[in-house]
Amino acid sequence: MLLLSMVTQQPWASGARGYAKGAIEPMEAGMMAVAARVGAWTSVLGDISSLRTQNQHLQDENASLRKQIAELSAAGLDNQALRQALDFQRSYGHTMVAAAVVGRGPDSFSLTVAIDRGTADGVRPGMVVASGAGLVGRVREAGPHVSIVQTLADPQSRVSAFLSKSGLQGTVIGGPGSLEMQIDPRFGIAPAVGEWVITNGVGGGYPRGLVVAQVAAVNHNDAATVDEAVLAWVNDTTSLSVVLVITDFTPS
Amino acid sequence: MMRLLGFAAFLAAALLQVTWAPGLAIWGAYPNLVLLMMVVITWRNGARAGMFWACWGGVLLDLTGPGPIGPHALALLAGAYVSGFWTRNVDKGSLSQPVLATAASTVLYSLILIGSDDTLGLPVPPLGLAFQLTFAASIYNAALMLPLLLVLGRAVPLRRQPA
Repeated sequence: MLLLSMVTQQPWASGARGYAKGAIEPMEAGMMAVAARVGAWTSVLGDISSLRTQNQHLQDENASLRKQIAELSAAGLDNQALRQALDFQRSYGHTMVAAAVVGRGPDSFSLTVAIDRGTADGVRPGMVVASGAGLVGRVREAGPHVSIVQTLADPQSRVSAFLSKSGLQGTVIGGPGSLEMQIDPRFGIAPAVGEWVITNGVGGGYPRGLVVAQVAAVNHNDAATVDEAVLAWVNDTTSLSVVLVITDFTPS
Repeated sequence: MMRLLGFAAFLAAALLQVTWAPGLAIWGAYPNLVLLMMVVITWRNGARAGMFWACWGGVLLDLTGPGPIGPHALALLAGAYVSGFWTRNVDKGSLSQPVLATAASTVLYSLILIGSDDTLGLPVPPLGLAFQLTFAASIYNAALMLPLLLVLGRAVPLRRQPA
């Protein structure tokens, strides 16, 4: 089995591996659809379904409004000239491919989601994935018609970001429970609960301006070199159904 | 016919695991349905049958997850071996033994999975987090074993092990 793993890990085997994984994808999509229908059917009892739909609409609207607030807040940090220099298009005018989530990772060590778009749709490994609420993660591997996205909840995820009000910079670290951010301290400025965490584009891994999370708690330790913040991620891997793959941003 | 049903049942379990099970996460861990089925079969039909189905179930999990094909199959094989060893040495009529065997299999499965990922140069979680997830998963799977044994146990015919 270890030998099989080594063989299938080789770059020349990625095509066959992609096709093999693609063969499972229609069944995963079918099961997700069944799951959604069963969920809806059971929630019909006691008008729960309508309440849930209404709640979902309100949540979507709320997420959209929160995103707008965060983006406006971020915009306030940059002056107009700097924004022009950075090219507004690069942050907000990306070409995207919509994809449905057809499955999730088989174990809790790698929190991934499978989407129904692949190399045939222009999706490539490394591309950034977002949702209407904000950043989801990055494409880890892409087959012809299915791709696997490493989400921010994956413990291996790292994103360079800044806080919307204080402007403090730091690194967002993934985790199954909640995201954490290691914030580089600056004299006289303290991170605050409720601030939005937005990608800063440093390192070229992610485009600048994508909403990541909201600060839920801040842990300050005088002896530590960095402040730590617990973040509330704007997405949830268990409820993600549609994502957007940014196809015109190439991570450096 | 039984083998065909087995293939279909493991396929269904793998699909459920990657679609429904993550919604049941507790402390970051969620039930491993394929491992649970493998333990039930090992418990009732012996280590050889368990290892056969571990291979098939593991490959299915590998096909639904990131990375190469093989680590889950290897980890489940180790889990099946432990369950088989356990089965041979304890009273098969006991209900607590399969629960303990499930917990032990989950721990070994997780360790082999992390170890093989590390060997292959794939990203692995930090050690502390890995232990926390392994512990949570072993408790979770063990808790689910008893009801599953009662439900699935009726469907899978008991095969006597040679003395």
